[in-house]
Amino acid sequence: MSSTAVDPARENDPGTQQADAQAVRIGTGQVSLVALTKRFGTFTAVDAIDLEIPAGGFFSLLGPSGCGKTTTLRMIAGFEEPTSGQVLLDGRDLVRTPPSKRPVNTVFQSYALFPHLRVFDNVAFGLRRAGVARDEVRRQVGEALELVQLSGYAGRKPGQLSGGQQQRVALARALVLKPAVLLLDEPLGALDAKLRRQLQVELKQLQAQVGITFVYVTHDQEEALTMSDRIAVINHGRIEQAASPKDLYEEPANAFVADFLGVSNLMDATVAGPAGTGARVNLSDSFPVDVLRGDIALRGPVKVVIRPERIGIEPADSPGPNRVPGLVSNVVYLGSSLQLAIHLASGHAVSALVPNTGEEAASAWAPGMTVSCYLPPASLRILAPDQAPTGQASAGVLAAQRPAGAAG
Amino acid sequence: MRPVSRIGSAGLAFYFWAFVLFLFAPLVVLLIFSVNSSPTPTLPLSGFSTEWFHQAFSNAELTGALVRSVFIALVAAAIATALGIVASLGLMALRGRALSMALTLLLLPLVVPYICLAVGLLILVEVLGSGPSLIAVVLGHCVIVLPFAILVIMPRLRSLDPAMNEAALDLGASSFAALRLITLPLLAPALVSSGIICFVTSFDEFAIASFLAPSGQPTYPVFLYASARTPALLPEVIAVGALIIAGSLLLVMLAEGGRRWAELRLVGANADTESVQSEAEDDQPPATVAMASG
Repeated sequence: MSSTAVDPARENDPGTQQADAQAVRIGTGQVSLVALTKRFGTFTAVDAIDLEIPAGGFFSLLGPSGCGKTTTLRMIAGFEEPTSGQVLLDGRDLVRTPPSKRPVNTVFQSYALFPHLRVFDNVAFGLRRAGVARDEVRRQVGEALELVQLSGYAGRKPGQLSGGQQQRVALARALVLKPAVLLLDEPLGALDAKLRRQLQVELKQLQAQVGITFVYVTHDQEEALTMSDRIAVINHGRIEQAASPKDLYEEPANAFVADFLGVSNLMDATVAGPAGTGARVNLSDSFPVDVLRGDIALRGPVKVVIRPERIGIEPADSPGPNRVPGLVSNVVYLGSSLQLAIHLASGHAVSALVPNTGEEAASAWAPGMTVSCYLPPASLRILAPDQAPTGQASAGVLAAQRPAGAAG
Repeated sequence: MRPVSRIGSAGLAFYFWAFVLFLFAPLVVLLIFSVNSSPTPTLPLSGFSTEWFHQAFSNAELTGALVRSVFIALVAAAIATALGIVASLGLMALRGRALSMALTLLLLPLVVPYICLAVGLLILVEVLGSGPSLIAVVLGHCVIVLPFAILVIMPRLRSLDPAMNEAALDLGASSFAALRLITLPLLAPALVSSGIICFVTSFDEFAIASFLAPSGQPTYPVFLYASARTPALLPEVIAVGALIIAGSLLLVMLAEGGRRWAELRLVGANADTESVQSEAEDDQPPATVAMASG
């Protein structure tokens, strides 16, 4: 593994540099998972997943730890053999293809850079395995390092780089092979919050630039919402919902998705009957509200969900429909907004976000105050009750400590 | 940490120096008498002389035994380290009960007295009809040093990120290429340590060699044992003993330097000096052990 020490960036003909690395790959890189199942002993990690991952997009697998998202990724990469089902890449089944022969590359959570090889040799590893000529290796490694803005670092060892730089080397090492699909296993998990946010933006730009399908595993809903074209929410080895970030946030299919995708208020309620184009729902016997969205055809016990930023906080005894009195139990100052924990008279605990429009707003609410909560019919959704943890007091109060979630 | 009283600390210092004396006195005595002009190792010292070194190296039987032992130790260390790599890779795939059973089996030679192994091996080679031979000594030594190789290599292998191997496969390497280009270079420090420990153990081994070495072809310890009882040969034996102590010291220092060089290569040229410093302190005990056994 010897190679002469040259600065690859300077070596290259500047004219041809960018053209190849950004070769357009529209139409390739479409992944379909068909009834994909993985069992470890008696434990079913991935349970008959069917999923279409469109070509050239940024696709996230989002879910809590242990939900099967990493196992799914490892089956696409070839590190795990499915118990049953298919992994199709552009219509071709990959299950019998070893990882070294799949046109798929991975960015590992630990980066897995080769510590004894220089950055240049790390990035060149795959090209050399493929038998690419020496000059061509030098040119392509130079391009890849330029793509991740590490041109001056070719001669360093991974141990001499910061976490963010190592992450970029891992990206360059995978992208230099121009895979049809790039798999990323929580690649930002080891970085601090500020760097993570910066790299989220860079990763998204990079994906748009190279046009390769990215399949991104994360448990961070904010990360998934920020970066993805499409997200599959996974829980207990099953897909709860696969949709665009906006649809997931605005139209969650069930209580789990609503709860996992940021702060949500989930309330147990009973549908009494139709009301206009929506439904009349009793939050409790004496607090009926109109709901316009979700499964408005459902009857009987349901969940009703509303985002904290959609709850209107008004002075106590404000008149009008869809208003429920409440008692402020806690106020958290978040800077751009205030997070209020409120006990509704219907018995539900909710959290509400009030924009911090000025000093007056910032000091308008305090624990112990009674208020009136306006729950707009167009912001309330009816969801079928399921086994997911309900958002009673725990979700609302815990959520109040997590300011990032609500921004969406 | 509780502060130690003055008496306590004096006691600790005494204990330490007594221990050092106990450990090194035999070696120092050997070094002193190797250059003593009297043919019998008795006090008072009679004067400086390098005669015994000259005599030792003009003794073809002695140098022959020495070369034989070095050769056997080199081959046994190479084979055991290679087998140690394979065994450790295999053990990585095992979990729970299978792992502990396989480990017990592989490490068994550590607890079986060498003399019993030696008798068993002698019977085996007689049954097979090949009789005692230097190859039998090499194989016997492979058996007893393999546990050391595994004990050195396996922890290093376990400490490697499993994703490293997967990354190599992911980038298009065959399993063998991943082993050759990634896993083995990362194991290098452990392989150096394993080689040294196996070499020193084999070089030093008496029981198996005395049973399995053919007559007229003794290994160095076997020759030494025989000649230590011949008064005329004793000064030469002492001189060679002193040389071996010096040689072991040099070997351990060289190997330590090599190992550290390999470690540094892994993290990059200008690794922080602090970690190197603390490593140097950790290295004292193994160096002493290897020296004593040499």
